[in-house]
Amino acid sequence: MSVFVILYYTLLLGASCLAAYFNKRAAFLLLFSLTLVSFVLGIIGGVAALRIVAIAAGLLALSAMVAYAFREFLIVIASQNMAKELRTAPLTAAFGMFVIFTVAIAGIFAPFIAPFGEAQVISSAFAPADENMLLGADQLGRDMFSRLVYGARNTVALALMGTVLAFTLGALAGLLAATSGGWFDQVIARTSDVIMSIPSLIFALLMLSIFGGELANDTTSFYLLTGFAILTGLLVVSAVSERSVIGWLIGITVLVGVAVVFAGAMLIIFNPSEIILVLVVAVIYSPRVFRLTRAVAGNVVVMDYIEAAKLRGERTWYLIRREILPNSTAPLVAEFGLEFCFVFLLIAGLSFLGLGIQPPTADWGSMVRENATLISFGDITPLIPAAAIALLTVAVNFVVDWMLYRSSGLKV
Amino acid sequence: MTKKKEVLLKIRDLKIQGYSDETWIDIIKGVDLTLHRGEVMGLIGESGAGKSTIGAACMGYARDGTRISEGSIEFDGMELTTASESERRALRGSRIAYVAQSAAASFNPAHKIIDQHTEAPLQYRLKKRLEAQEDAMDLYERLRLPNPQEIGFRYPHQVSGGQLQRAMTAMAMACRPDLIIFDEPTTALDVTTQIEVLAAIRDIVEQFNTAAIYITHDLAVVAQMADTIKVLLKGEEVEEASTKEMLDNPKEDYTKSLWAVRSFESPQRYRPKDGVPLISVRNVDAAYTGGEKVLDDVSFDIYEGMTVAVVGESGSGKSTTARVITGLLPPMKGEVLFKGKPFPASYRDRTKDQLRQCQMIYQMADTALNPKVRISEIIGRPAAFYSGLKGVALKNRVDELLDLIELEPSQYYNRYPPELSGGQKQRIGIARALAAEPTFIVCDEVTSALDQLVAEGILRLLDRLQNEMNLAYMFITHDLATVRSIADEVVVMQHGKVVEQGPKDEMFKPPHHPYTDLLLSSVPEMDPNWLTTLLEERGVDNVGDAASARIDPNDPKVTGANA
Amino acid sequence: MGDILGLVAKRLGLGLIILLVISVIIFFMVELLPGDIAQAVLGQGATPENLAALRKEMGLDQPAVVRYLGWLKGAVVFDFGNSIVTGASVSETIGERFANTLFLATYAAVIAVPVSIVLGVLVALLRNSIFDRVANVATLTSISSPEFFLGYILILYFAVNWGMFPAIASLRADMSFVDLLHRTFLPALTLVLVVTAHMMRMTRAAIINLLASPYIEMARLKGTPPWKVIVRHALPNAWAPIINVVALNLAYLITGVVLVEVVFVYPGIGQALVDAVSKRDFPVVQACCLIFAATFILLNLAADVGAILTNPRLRHPK
Repeated sequence: MSVFVILYYTLLLGASCLAAYFNKRAAFLLLFSLTLVSFVLGIIGGVAALRIVAIAAGLLALSAMVAYAFREFLIVIASQNMAKELRTAPLTAAFGMFVIFTVAIAGIFAPFIAPFGEAQVISSAFAPADENMLLGADQLGRDMFSRLVYGARNTVALALMGTVLAFTLGALAGLLAATSGGWFDQVIARTSDVIMSIPSLIFALLMLSIFGGELANDTTSFYLLTGFAILTGLLVVSAVSERSVIGWLIGITVLVGVAVVFAGAMLIIFNPSEIILVLVVAVIYSPRVFRLTRAVAGNVVVMDYIEAAKLRGERTWYLIRREILPNSTAPLVAEFGLEFCFVFLLIAGLSFLGLGIQPPTADWGSMVRENATLISFGDITPLIPAAAIALLTVAVNFVVDWMLYRSSGLKV
Repeated sequence: MTKKKEVLLKIRDLKIQGYSDETWIDIIKGVDLTLHRGEVMGLIGESGAGKSTIGAACMGYARDGTRISEGSIEFDGMELTTASESERRALRGSRIAYVAQSAAASFNPAHKIIDQHTEAPLQYRLKKRLEAQEDAMDLYERLRLPNPQEIGFRYPHQVSGGQLQRAMTAMAMACRPDLIIFDEPTTALDVTTQIEVLAAIRDIVEQFNTAAIYITHDLAVVAQMADTIKVLLKGEEVEEASTKEMLDNPKEDYTKSLWAVRSFESPQRYRPKDGVPLISVRNVDAAYTGGEKVLDDVSFDIYEGMTVAVVGESGSGKSTTARVITGLLPPMKGEVLFKGKPFPASYRDRTKDQLRQCQMIYQMADTALNPKVRISEIIGRPAAFYSGLKGVALKNRVDELLDLIELEPSQYYNRYPPELSGGQKQRIGIARALAAEPTFIVCDEVTSALDQLVAEGILRLLDRLQNEMNLAYMFITHDLATVRSIADEVVVMQHGKVVEQGPKDEMFKPPHHPYTDLLLSSVPEMDPNWLTTLLEERGVDNVGDAASARIDPNDPKVTGANA
Repeated sequence: MGDILGLVAKRLGLGLIILLVISVIIFFMVELLPGDIAQAVLGQGATPENLAALRKEMGLDQPAVVRYLGWLKGAVVFDFGNSIVTGASVSETIGERFANTLFLATYAAVIAVPVSIVLGVLVALLRNSIFDRVANVATLTSISSPEFFLGYILILYFAVNWGMFPAIASLRADMSFVDLLHRTFLPALTLVLVVTAHMMRMTRAAIINLLASPYIEMARLKGTPPWKVIVRHALPNAWAPIINVVALNLAYLITGVVLVEVVFVYPGIGQALVDAVSKRDFPVVQACCLIFAATFILLNLAADVGAILTNPRLRHPK
């Protein structure tokens, strides 16, 4: 029996007794069941297993403290209304916000934070960590930490872009379908049924196998992007113009111009293969967004105030903007977070398979793949970018969970 | 009638709290209640009075989001507030039973009715399965359910609402409890069905000498059922007395006002001798996509400045008629004329001015007003939309409208609908309709979701506005008291057909169409002996569904020879 | 009963149509390529004669619709032509791998489905307790983690540090069944972790949703004990959503398997697909996609049919 083991059990048992004494039923149950589990773990896994439990508990306590402090910080700086909302946030949500905040800072200020360049080779392959390199070097001798920071920027930016595109198309279609109903609703619903019948990862692989090779050039991606933007824009134009021919003419002219400018701007920011990736993701996820938005908006359009507005002769665009959207913002925001998680995991998965973001761009998914061989030597380096992916998704999910709870008003 | 016997249930200073907006607030503020064996007590009050919460508390049960914070509930010598959960559970179903408002939702769709019936007796090992089933059939027979031997082996969705409600009463009787809580058992039913359920409940409670707490908002119903009546208001007791005394001689102002509600009656107007009807529905057939025909050859006229009440039970096609008139549901056959000229069938094809002429006020003010839009915009939007008002002119118009509906403009201008009470919301709905400056308004059950006093205020307001602006109303309702107070003409509908129509004074005088007769006679009256007299007159088996099935199709009134 | 058969038949027909539409998408997407497959095989430097010869050999000189019908006819009998990289028959290459993938998915499902339903019901019963909250955080974390993260953690501890299971799930023909289970335990466990969390949450949600129904309150007011309220009154009505959850997650297993197969170098169809995509071996890509999509649709179909069959209102019509 080492000192550690004795200390471990003393602490746990002491805390359990204290909790029991002060009638903290929940805390007692948790602590005491942990004690019981520790007995079993200690016998099977020995001291090492207990050490893992202790470290995990320490990490949990640390993140709880960080979350608590961050929530208090947010409450202090937020406006009064926001502060009232924030006070209801559980620690998990506060922790989520903290992680999102950190990743955002890392991504935005990547060049200032990272000590080395994204593709800068500074030492030998797989060099261990030293005072220069916080996390050691990767398979080409690049600084892991710098690449992790740049990865935050690249991976998150792409995922965010994909989500925004998917969301714009899907949500617009969903709102429009719910408002106008009829054949338009049917056609879109059936189309999205078909797309959703192909598993997302498989569909992504299929599309990437076709657009991934020589088609990933400036011209193709420009046309595809413009096409996507026009498709989205058509929905807006149809809602705004309805049956007016002039409205359609003006709308389409404006729309084409906007789409071209948008596609051009995107091409400056991203390279063609990344644009293809974003579009693939957008095509795959917009039906899912459509279905959710259709359901959310569907609950609103049955309300009598929508009927009253329709009978008044209001246009579809007014209905969407003034009557439906204000009543669906909360679930839609939560939905956006949820979709971001899916998109982010899909892009990370594709990169992990070597089919997503291409080297030398630093990206969390491909970093796992590049360093995967280290795992068989018991080195946790490849786990670090994987953990970063998991951490961000968990964080977003925590926040979404809280928002869903708030918006549904469920007290279960 | 009060039976002064052994005390069964004694509640003292009961306080119950509900959880809302992150804090606990009192919803029951210290109520006392004493119930003797075999006594039936009526709990009456408006929505939010806490009747149902007290009902659940009698079983030692607090719904999710509520808690019993203070006071004592003593059932047959056992204190429920301090008893353990399993002790309290042992009472439920065996000694105290519950009958819920909606039988359709309160029966589990996955099990046969009789299996749900026998669950409690088997659980408490009172009877063997077969004995319990025999007993269930016996109870079904006593409650006059058709096919008592067989009905229990059906699933809940295979049985009609009125029968299900009686089956639930039978289920409550399964263990011969000392006390049954009836929580608005007939509120969801049509008037003609309500009678048979009321009669059945009253009989069975008497037969087994069971004590009961009968919760309802309907005074006439409680007058038939209860020995004593307790009136509640916002979680507090107003007064308690025996039924007769309470009806003849209420003490508190609030109680008196409840009794006085049905006094309002607007003077009846008559059709102009010659003139074109404002709205004319001509031979309309209608159906929802893929469904059966809901309207069958419906025709009636509405003249300027007059109120036509459309009466009928659920499923009679009242609301569908309104949807045809407003253009939400284009008819399969027939047409709607406006001042003699055809109205386009779909609202999409109507001009702005045609849309403006015809406005609507809804039953549920909660869903009729967008909760995220300010009152000023809700009322201001039609004014801006149709009349193009802007800036100061618009604000003045909104103020004027708020004045019209008797709400202080400065106070309500910037508020949101969820901050208002039910009656205020309904007033905003009226103002929105008026903002369009219409000539015709469809009022779809506008008072049925409101408490009686508030409803009366709304009726008076509508009547005043009609006189001031020469509005025509189509008043859809199932409540004949409302018809009496506001209608000029009445249209009676059944199964999508107009069975009878005419001026109000003629409609309330015999001879009636048999269905109108049934409808009129089924409306409960304040007289505590009304149900007994009616059952004696008509016979126990000639009420409700049975009676409406018995209408002779060859009766001259039915064939329309005389209509 | 006629109603039910009609509904089921309608649903089956719909599934078939969707599958057909998807086969069209999968086939004609490849037609989007500039030039054609022959061009892709031979690359930019090919001579026109060589191209023409290859086109003739692959039947590319015929119109696309004819080729599609031929391909579809082959697909029905599991014949997808030859790989353009190795020249071997596609069905032979992926046939055995598909069986391996099915084995892995079944392995995971057999563990995950009962465990998650029992845990889901348990957590619903203990809702709002500390265990519920811990389970909530744990399942959320598990769902949010990419499969390769969980996979590598399992490898690190169970294979490298403790040496309990092999890190690489390669298969040999002469392995005993127990050996097989042992070898594929880690990839199966990875899948189980992801899917169980998901199913547990959805089972809990389905049951808690029902607990708000009036008939549940009625059951409570009849003195029914809490466990019986859940088992007798909530569960029979929760089957439809639960079946849905299970099917959805089995379908998810099929997708998730791709990443897990790559992590554990498991010889399944997922890895074949990834290889084919990077080598741009279109016949293999098309075949794999069609198989995945068909399985996916089949599972959803099974869920819908299951939901129809367990619905008391449909089973006992008026």
